[in-house]
Amino acid sequence: MTSSPQSGQRAVGKLADPIGADAPLDREALEEIFDDIRTHPRYDSELNGCLNCGICTATCPSAHYYDYSPREIVQLLWTENVEGIYDAMQEKIWACAQCYTCAARCPFGNSPGGLVMVMREVAIKHGMESAKEVLRPFSRVMLKVMTTGNQLAPNMITPEHFPDWGPNISKVEAPLNILRKAIPMPTLHTQETAWAVNLKTSIELYTIWEESGVLDQLETMDENLFDVIVDIMDEKREDYADWLEEQDDDDDDD
Amino acid sequence: MSDNGERFTGHGEEWRDARLSAQDARTATSWVEAKIDKRALLTNKDRVEDVRDAMWQLEKDGEIIVHRVGDQHEPVMAKTLYGWDKKIPTNQLWHHKSCGQCGNIPGYPASLLWLMNQTETRYLDETDQTSCTAWNYHGSGIGNIVSLAAVFLRNFHQAYVSAQAEGLDPGYYYPLVHCGTSFGNYKEVRHFLMHSAELREQVRKILAKLDRLIDGKLLIPEEIVHYSEWLHVMRGRIADKQQIDASNIRVTIHPACHVYKMVPEDVIYDDDVLDGNRVAVSTGIMQEMGTQVIDYSTWYDCCGFGFRHIISEREFTRSFAIDRKIKVAVEEARADVMVGHDTGCITTLDKNQWIGKAVGKDYALPVLADCQVAALLCGAHPYKIVQMHWHASPFEDLLEKLGIDWQRAKAEFEGYLEEVAQGKIETLYEPRRAITSGEGYRP
Amino acid sequence: MTDPILIVGGGPAGLGAAQALSAIGRKSILVEKEAELGGAPIISGYAKLVPSGEWAKDAIGGMVQRVAGSDLVDVRLGARVTEFAGTPGSFNATLSSGEQCQVSSAILATGFTHFDSINKPEWGFGTHPDVVTTVQVEQMMSSGKGVYCPSDGRVPDRVAILLCVGSRDRQIGREWCSKICCTVSANIAMEIRELLPDCSVYIYYMDIRTYGQYETEYYWRSQEEFRVKYIKSRVAEVTSDGNRLLIKGEDTLVKRPIAIPFDLVVHAIGMDPNLENATIAETFGVDLQKEGNIAQQFSYGGIGLTSRAGVYVAGAAVGPETIDDSIAQGQAAAMAALGMDGGMVAPSAAAE
Repeated sequence: MTSSPQSGQRAVGKLADPIGADAPLDREALEEIFDDIRTHPRYDSELNGCLNCGICTATCPSAHYYDYSPREIVQLLWTENVEGIYDAMQEKIWACAQCYTCAARCPFGNSPGGLVMVMREVAIKHGMESAKEVLRPFSRVMLKVMTTGNQLAPNMITPEHFPDWGPNISKVEAPLNILRKAIPMPTLHTQETAWAVNLKTSIELYTIWEESGVLDQLETMDENLFDVIVDIMDEKREDYADWLEEQDDDDDDD
Repeated sequence: MSDNGERFTGHGEEWRDARLSAQDARTATSWVEAKIDKRALLTNKDRVEDVRDAMWQLEKDGEIIVHRVGDQHEPVMAKTLYGWDKKIPTNQLWHHKSCGQCGNIPGYPASLLWLMNQTETRYLDETDQTSCTAWNYHGSGIGNIVSLAAVFLRNFHQAYVSAQAEGLDPGYYYPLVHCGTSFGNYKEVRHFLMHSAELREQVRKILAKLDRLIDGKLLIPEEIVHYSEWLHVMRGRIADKQQIDASNIRVTIHPACHVYKMVPEDVIYDDDVLDGNRVAVSTGIMQEMGTQVIDYSTWYDCCGFGFRHIISEREFTRSFAIDRKIKVAVEEARADVMVGHDTGCITTLDKNQWIGKAVGKDYALPVLADCQVAALLCGAHPYKIVQMHWHASPFEDLLEKLGIDWQRAKAEFEGYLEEVAQGKIETLYEPRRAITSGEGYRP
Repeated sequence: MTDPILIVGGGPAGLGAAQALSAIGRKSILVEKEAELGGAPIISGYAKLVPSGEWAKDAIGGMVQRVAGSDLVDVRLGARVTEFAGTPGSFNATLSSGEQCQVSSAILATGFTHFDSINKPEWGFGTHPDVVTTVQVEQMMSSGKGVYCPSDGRVPDRVAILLCVGSRDRQIGREWCSKICCTVSANIAMEIRELLPDCSVYIYYMDIRTYGQYETEYYWRSQEEFRVKYIKSRVAEVTSDGNRLLIKGEDTLVKRPIAIPFDLVVHAIGMDPNLENATIAETFGVDLQKEGNIAQQFSYGGIGLTSRAGVYVAGAAVGPETIDDSIAQGQAAAMAALGMDGGMVAPSAAAE
């Protein structure tokens, strides 16, 4: 389930005909990718077979706007079409909006959305170019959540980043710090995080990233971002250690 | 179609019965006369597993400890999709906040806390909590079941022990999840945890490092509860506090996918709300407060948030939000407001309307969370409490229709901002309670 | 050994058993909980039956008349069996009226319950008046009113029939195929086209299971002669824009999701186990199989044997069944009950 950074180099995915003569990967590599999907702990509970009834695609928001069909994803996986699976991982799986309507409707209890998540995890494990592309606009969010424990901060939402949301983030004009302090919840008087997060809490979360292999995933995908995060968190850990020491000193004084 | 030829369906004032003759109705439904309970065949749980049963077994086996919804949480029983019971705690609640709500629609949690003050509900809003990280997982693929499970149980462990900071027993507060995605994700993860000994062992090791185990065991919540469920079971008590008549308001509901499509067997369906045919939360309180809830043809559709789409495929997000939700709510249902119960949906449906003007789609439909509407109707200040200025779509007409003088309220708020600048800040609870450990904590 | 044979349920299977027993001169007691005989085809008001095309009130009504008119069949209407004790050849049945009956054996022909479409709310039944069930359409036709939209009585231009409503669906715990709905729906589609030649009729399907000889007469004929359109698609939701119903589906063969308007949407509802099976099983001391139908002991050889010697079962009580096969099974169960009387000891009885 956790990623191995070494495997990242192999699959330099180009958008090419996966079954043609200039296929980017040989059959063995394709099967290895499929094996990672098939042995994922979620896989068996998300796929039970398929009648191609189309209820998933019928109700899929992304199917209306993209060349994407959850039914096709299920069919590819069920028939172990490793070329088709690899091809779908280049673009199609990223079209899914993760609403899970497909799973709520499937008469056989499949979860195409869950299968897409498995494929996304495997795309990351293999360092696929498609995954890197997807991740790029996410780096701000990633940095935030990795180092603070919050995905989103008030100061991330600016007309500059969201020009299509209109010129005014607030309909009452005032500096952000004042507007934030005018929220009647003391935990929300923040700009750098959505709510004030305890230092200890951020560090606990960082330990989870380390121990669950998520940091390794990130290193495969974006080494620069990985380095930045490690630096920030080393510093935070030091801060926390210092604070703990201070407490001990205080206790000693008592 | 209604008698006056207008084209609405649903449950507003135009709602009309099927108009079967008495005899037709009787024969058409003769086999239902015995009153078949919803999904009757399923209630024996032979066919669909109730994960809570697996949980009790694991507790019996000494593997986990279950954080119970106890009498002190004053639970109210609700019925879920298959007619199973779900215990909704109504008091002593630990707010598990939502990053998207707190970050960009802060009136959402503020309205909820305000309603809790009105109903004398005890709660704790503290700083020792993280996002569920599921937005990130669904959007980017970074993260995995182990990390999601560890984050889930870390946060819920903190909810369990938090009361110790106030000199109270562990388990005093029960976690109430604000975000729909967190709600769905936690339930999904709990399911995986109950079924995989390997996953439990991996997570146990991590939580041991964090000193987040109880007697060396994982702490699993008896119920995973969304704030909208609290609002639903409290709807009568909240409606008792109503000050503003809303019978002229046409409401469309946007139900959130991660609330009712993920782990659907755990979602409230109430026989008294749309005959139990649709998820009960939000609709229930809106009807209780006398608004007209209007059905529309894309009720089941998602909002278009898409997790990664909201960031990097915004063309999809706004097209879906406008064309399949907002436009339909305005043109078909002639709605005054779209009411939801999840972070991502409210953001998507609200913020994406502005750009529509560029292509002649100027719908200007206010989008609010159910608790924001409820707070408004109970007399909460539209700016100071409901914090409506963070909403992008125009809401002034709605306030006028409710008889609320928004210009005066806005002026009051602007005056208040000057006081804030001078450090005179009003809060919903004593601020020191927010810090339960570490720097700044005062026992 | 001249006690009568108890038959529980006066639908096709029970009528078949009663008719067979009376044909060879054996007495039976037929207990029916409703106020009239005939079972689902009569009580739920079916129209023309598969495969003969006869009206239910003629075909099944004819059986009812023959059974009711037979001196050898003792009919108890509005009655249930509340207790059943004894051993094969000598049972005592207590009826809800308090009456005690000595019987040599019993045949459970207790049938099924129509799936309640309320349990599939996203398909609009219970929310939109013009979403109806196959049973309602049967009633519309058998009552002579013709097919109409219940909301305003108008004649529909476009009708969609959705197959597998309450069948083959893990979401609602109905994993079985209800066996009859494909053929019945093709039959209804043809009847609608006959009544309303300008009306388009679509059938949404996952698979078409007009098995055996029904292929030609129903699946193929409905297309060739009646221009019924088949779309391979399970629809996601049925909603309304205020004027018409909208069906959200993917035509999986053409591969695009699309919402199509209809005037009338018909749920081809499946067959649930009889709601009262738990009580019936308790009363008669017989086992149910995992889906809640009455369990049969053997697939081959012993016919209609339940887990209790001397108690037999026939028709839709064992699972989804057609009318004609239910009648045949009723007759077969009668044969098995007679066989036991005659000393042909059934395997389960031998084991005791």
